Amino acid sequence: MNGERITARQLTAFVDGELELERQLAIEARLASDAALRAEVDALRGLRDALRDRAEYHVAPEALRARILFAGAPAPPSGWRRWFAWRPWLPAFAVAGLAAWGLSLALDARVWPFGRDEALMQEVIASHVRSNFGQRLVDVASSDQHTVKPWLSSRLDYSPPVTDAPVPGAVFVGGRVDYLDARPVAALVYRQRQHVIDAYVWPTTGPDAPAQALAQRGFNVVHWARGGMRFWLVSDINRDELAAFAHALAQADAAARAR
Amino acid sequence: MPDPLNHPRFEALLMPHLDAAYNLARWLTRNDHDAQDVVQEACLRAMRYFASFRGEQARPWLLQIVRHTAYGWLQQNRPGDLVSLDADDAAAEPAAPIEHEPMAVAARNADRALINRAIAALPVAFREVLVLRELEDLSYKEIARIVDVPIGTVMSRLSRARALLQQALLPGARPVLREVPLRATQGGAP
Repeated sequence: MNGERITARQLTAFVDGELELERQLAIEARLASDAALRAEVDALRGLRDALRDRAEYHVAPEALRARILFAGAPAPPSGWRRWFAWRPWLPAFAVAGLAAWGLSLALDARVWPFGRDEALMQEVIASHVRSNFGQRLVDVASSDQHTVKPWLSSRLDYSPPVTDAPVPGAVFVGGRVDYLDARPVAALVYRQRQHVIDAYVWPTTGPDAPAQALAQRGFNVVHWARGGMRFWLVSDINRDELAAFAHALAQADAAARAR
Repeated sequence: MPDPLNHPRFEALLMPHLDAAYNLARWLTRNDHDAQDVVQEACLRAMRYFASFRGEQARPWLLQIVRHTAYGWLQQNRPGDLVSLDADDAAAEPAAPIEHEPMAVAARNADRALINRAIAALPVAFREVLVLRELEDLSYKEIARIVDVPIGTVMSRLSRARALLQQALLPGARPVLREVPLRATQGGAP
């Protein structure tokens, strides 16, 4: 192949290592003696390095991630408006959707209290998923409740009950501050087998409420209220194990308060 | 509306590739809001087609849907972006002799802003293969599948894309590339 012209296409493929091996080696061999070819390859490699180093990689915004995970939940209005704008067949659905949304708002306004739990469950699952996606599982990593409790208390306007892992086999990993129900709340993080259990705890003025188990999208949720604190547990662990965990946690919490 | 998390497999397989999906959509639409809309729509479609997913590589599969959705969006909103490249695909080497040394230097010295501008100004068919190759590190075969062209065409377009970029990065080489059309999108920007 000496003297044979190498096209720009072939050089591109060569730089990408996409030529057949034989051809790849032939060009490689020719580089040693052909200065012009060397310059051309060097220019292509310079460009490739510059692109890989400095071209922007656009990372998906958190809001988009949440929007897709919870496609059933109402998205920000501007997003929807634009979304419908280029789908002429959608206005009919949009009207129906808005009506449903309006209805859910009406329900939310204490006509039917379960609307709020539903919304809160979405929030809790979203928060759980986000923390598991990212690197921010815990803000304070410690298996010692006496380290975590003061850390959380100093960042919140209340002091959350912090309980060590209440069942054998589970580990207390630490805590973080999350935002739920329009306020900062304490998230206590436990690990049982390979599953993360998030326990969100925040004060409520409402009455005590018995534990309720919910499930959605493969996540299990248990929530209850006791002694002026709401507890929401969420995990992808199975329903029975989460229920057992919740039961033990409520017991441990009650025992701690009794002391 | 289909509910994604009724398919835990869908979530486990595709959510890890959301950044890749967004990056492609963002480079194709060149706009944050439009890219978000495209990715959301693409994910809805992906859920719908999920039954036809046969355990192949998840990332190219999702990117193929994103690309298809983005093209639909461009067709509706910026048809000017979608000029046919059939002629360009076969385009020969540049007529003038090229000095490769200054190009290597220029590329190595180019700053972020200049590089991003130059990529954004590429015709969309060149831009997508370049993004898939350099930012997603996909093979020609995978790119060919996503873009739905033969591997040889991927090779030609990449080659052309790089040649255009090399020229755009040369100092003082501004107006070689097409201007980005500034047509307002529908629906009112925020």
